[in-house]
Amino acid sequence: MFETVFEFFFKYRPIVFGEGTLAFRPTVATFVAAIAVVVIGVVTLRTYQRVRANTRPVDRTVLMVVRLAILAVLLLCLFRPVLVLSQVVAQQNFLGVLIDDSRSMDIADRDGATRADFVTEQFGGEESPLLTALADRFAIRLFSFSSATNRITSVDDLTFDGTRTHLAQALTRAHEELAGVPLSGLVVVSDGADNAGLELSEALVPLEAAGVPVFTVGLGRESYSRDIQLSRVDTPRTVLKGAALVVDVLVTHNGYAGETVSVQVEDEGRIVADQAVTLPGDGEPATVRVRFTAADAGARLFSFRIAPRPDEMVTQNNERNSLVVVEDTREKILYFEGEPRWELKFIGRAVADDENLQVARLQRTAENKFMRLGVEDAEDLVGGFPRTREELFKYRAIILGSIEANFFTPDQLRMIADFVGDRGGSLLMLGGQRSFAEGGYAGTPVAEVLPVVMGATAGEGEDGFFIETGVRPTRAGATHPATQIADTEEASGARWLELPPITLVNRISDVKPGATTLLESADGSLVVLAFQRYGAGKVLAFPVQDSWMWQMHADIAVDDQTHETLWRRLLRWMVDGVPDQVIADLPTDHVELDEPLALRAEVDDANYEEINSSQVSAWITDPDDEITEVSMEWTADRDGEYASSFVPRKEGLYEVRMEATTDGELLGSDTAFVRVAPSDAEYYDSTMQAPLLERVAEETGGRFYTPDTVDSLVDDIQTVGGGVTVVEERDLWDMPIFLFLFLTLILGEWGYRRSRGLA
Amino acid sequence: MRPRLFVRAGVIATALMGAGWGAPWPAAPAERPGLAPRVTAPAAAQQRPTFRREDLRPTLKNPSANAREFFFTRAIYTGGGRGWGGGAWATDFPKADRQFLSILDRLVDMDAFEMENAIQLDDPAIRRFPFLYALEVGNMYMTEAEVKGLREYLLAGGFLMIDDFWGTYEWQNFEAEIKRVLPEYQIADLPLNHPIFNTFYNIKELVQVPSIGNAQGGPTWERDGYEAQVKGIFDETGRLMVVINWNTDIGDAWEWAESPYYPLRYSTYAIEITVNIIVYAMSH
Repeated sequence: MFETVFEFFFKYRPIVFGEGTLAFRPTVATFVAAIAVVVIGVVTLRTYQRVRANTRPVDRTVLMVVRLAILAVLLLCLFRPVLVLSQVVAQQNFLGVLIDDSRSMDIADRDGATRADFVTEQFGGEESPLLTALADRFAIRLFSFSSATNRITSVDDLTFDGTRTHLAQALTRAHEELAGVPLSGLVVVSDGADNAGLELSEALVPLEAAGVPVFTVGLGRESYSRDIQLSRVDTPRTVLKGAALVVDVLVTHNGYAGETVSVQVEDEGRIVADQAVTLPGDGEPATVRVRFTAADAGARLFSFRIAPRPDEMVTQNNERNSLVVVEDTREKILYFEGEPRWELKFIGRAVADDENLQVARLQRTAENKFMRLGVEDAEDLVGGFPRTREELFKYRAIILGSIEANFFTPDQLRMIADFVGDRGGSLLMLGGQRSFAEGGYAGTPVAEVLPVVMGATAGEGEDGFFIETGVRPTRAGATHPATQIADTEEASGARWLELPPITLVNRISDVKPGATTLLESADGSLVVLAFQRYGAGKVLAFPVQDSWMWQMHADIAVDDQTHETLWRRLLRWMVDGVPDQVIADLPTDHVELDEPLALRAEVDDANYEEINSSQVSAWITDPDDEITEVSMEWTADRDGEYASSFVPRKEGLYEVRMEATTDGELLGSDTAFVRVAPSDAEYYDSTMQAPLLERVAEETGGRFYTPDTVDSLVDDIQTVGGGVTVVEERDLWDMPIFLFLFLTLILGEWGYRRSRGLA
Repeated sequence: MRPRLFVRAGVIATALMGAGWGAPWPAAPAERPGLAPRVTAPAAAQQRPTFRREDLRPTLKNPSANAREFFFTRAIYTGGGRGWGGGAWATDFPKADRQFLSILDRLVDMDAFEMENAIQLDDPAIRRFPFLYALEVGNMYMTEAEVKGLREYLLAGGFLMIDDFWGTYEWQNFEAEIKRVLPEYQIADLPLNHPIFNTFYNIKELVQVPSIGNAQGGPTWERDGYEAQVKGIFDETGRLMVVINWNTDIGDAWEWAESPYYPLRYSTYAIEITVNIIVYAMSH
């Protein structure tokens, strides 16, 4: 609208004024005329000065100014203003036209027509208006782009089945290909859904520097009227077999507010979870928490889906797949008690059936006398609590029971803190007469890593702190995987409130900044379970001395599994994500055929210090069990980081095992998996991304169009584009605005005179 | 006496002296005012006093004592036989319990409550005490409520130590009673290589501990219980729930261990096996 009005008054569109510079082209006659105008002006002034009859000074001034303004407009026109433009020379320049060839172009959101239909209409052949208009003035080079960018001869070569949109790559590629020819610009015809994850700025800077404007034509709607999308599914990459997974699924939608839909999870053909959710208002995301158990070991493909609705515009975005490696390993945990305690018996019993947890229990029964349970062999822990980092760092988690800080040497206390901070292990301190402040931990390195602020101890002659209290989960605890003691969040929350009271002998009321309280006393005044991440690891404080009451109490049924569930989940959560010496790190769990897969390994020595001189290899097993060895090199960017890449040539599941050796000795190995398959990424957030296309145009000096405004594209390229240009002058004296001004001023003068009753 | 046994006996003897042995009863701890032993001399036994509940469980007078980790808990059950205060369950009570606890405190680094703690099998509070001691079970005749209470206690994770019953008749009675509690589990012998015999002390042989009347001479057996035996009942996961000391009177050895006339061999064994059983019960 603005452009149309502007063009009506000023003869040309704003972009023309933006590109051109203003100049005047007066002739001799112009100067003669100008002198005449000045003379007339002077005469006018003098006349107004002389006339006195029936006029007020204000009237004279107004009329004099209007007259002079009329003369000024005339004078301006007489000086012949022109707009100096550099115009692209017809047929001497090239124009790259990049057409999106991805799947999302087949979405029919243009009043029943697909986005691809626009391409066919406008670029489909000799009859198509846009292509014809462009071809009249430019030498056209067509490109298709999706996962890859290719030269095409006509739009008949487009298939619209690309599974990714690499916009940045397409711009770079087209620019490179047209580098040796006079290039007026690039036209991008796309829905703008760039899902390649590459940095767009890196592609735009060279274009801007080379003066190649990009004209973007956005196809499709900026929002759907009816659609449900699984926007995000957060699953861990690796879990322990039997782990109870709590996965957040982000659902976005339009047009289904208030309706209840069901999120289903399928583990290779078997439905393992079904969670109903009532959708909030349009455009508002809903987070659905889905729970299921990773029952089978191996690389498992979990599918999350919402059944498509009959009237949905895009149904392909109702499902997401996630590859989760379910490990059937036995994770070592060291539980150290400073005295015989029932907790040791009952915790050991609670996790005894869990084949994936090995809790080595070390119990001091008298001075320098230890009892070992659940150890690996006769030598394991024979000297008591580990004295070397290497020995301690074999474990993934440490539980400290009622053991006073004085038992440990300063080096052992430092080692325990480093176990968390450097090795990335988990530490849990239980309540007891010799734990926390009562155990003399204040001021030790262990106190530094604990998530709680230790309370004051009882003074000389005072009774120690003691309270019997019920327990309730905090908001964080109600949903946290470590404190889920029943199948659903509601049942778990209710079960916590039913559990019998436990006793606390350590007064802990506050957590440190950044720590999270999961459980608190029934009156909310005391911390019962809190954790924080410290360095690479996790630290938990559980100042309860008799959680075994949740097993033994008369209110608990003999076959009740709450105590077992709590300790299994808590310990599993503790060992979850604890790193090994060698970590195989793939940036993604899914690539497409022939798409390079980045391989990355992090390698530490037995003391968990990064090591740069290791020999690291990746053994890649393809779906046909053929094995390829890829050597990995230290990146030099980060200590202990090794990298390489690999291009998969078959569809299916690839196993990547990375192995590190130093001086012929194996440091460790780790296995990751990656799925090679076409991507569905195109259907997510597949509405037209106008902001992205506008940004591309703006940063390169081009313009953004929609099918409704695309008519001016050809003229704009000719004005704005680069390549071979000629200087062209366009007259401005005949702009309608001048006539409009002239007439407005004359009529204004007449009207003023009438209103004032002047002659 | 072998040197090893001699050393052990020395340790225990020192512990006994340190605990203020010599008086028939250890003094009640200062923080338990008002708690007077109900029975102070054998002569009083003849009066058959009745225990009040708070005397059986001193923690009831001072709930914060529940903060302690271990309670030597004696099972009160229905049955006939010897003993003071209403039944066979109270044999040697509470002197034996207190004397044993004072020794335990010196030998093992654990937070044990120093007073007796007796509780009925059908009292729900029994679940707070995962270790239970019962003796004179040859004349035990549990009520249905007691059977149910003991069964659930054991299945939930509790541990029962049985002591001081002799001969075939008492065995048969006990076996019948425990079958009412755990009909699905069998009683098995505990061989000397079972971990319970070396959890804390390394016990190489079973000793028949005679009652006080026979300790200073005469036969160590009673009735036809000629050979001391240790048996156990395991659940389906292999967890030991019940340890049965048959044809032996370990409790008497605790009770009379302070007596200069009581043979050290018996008190040493009694204390060693009990410490082992408790440490085992608290860890396995």
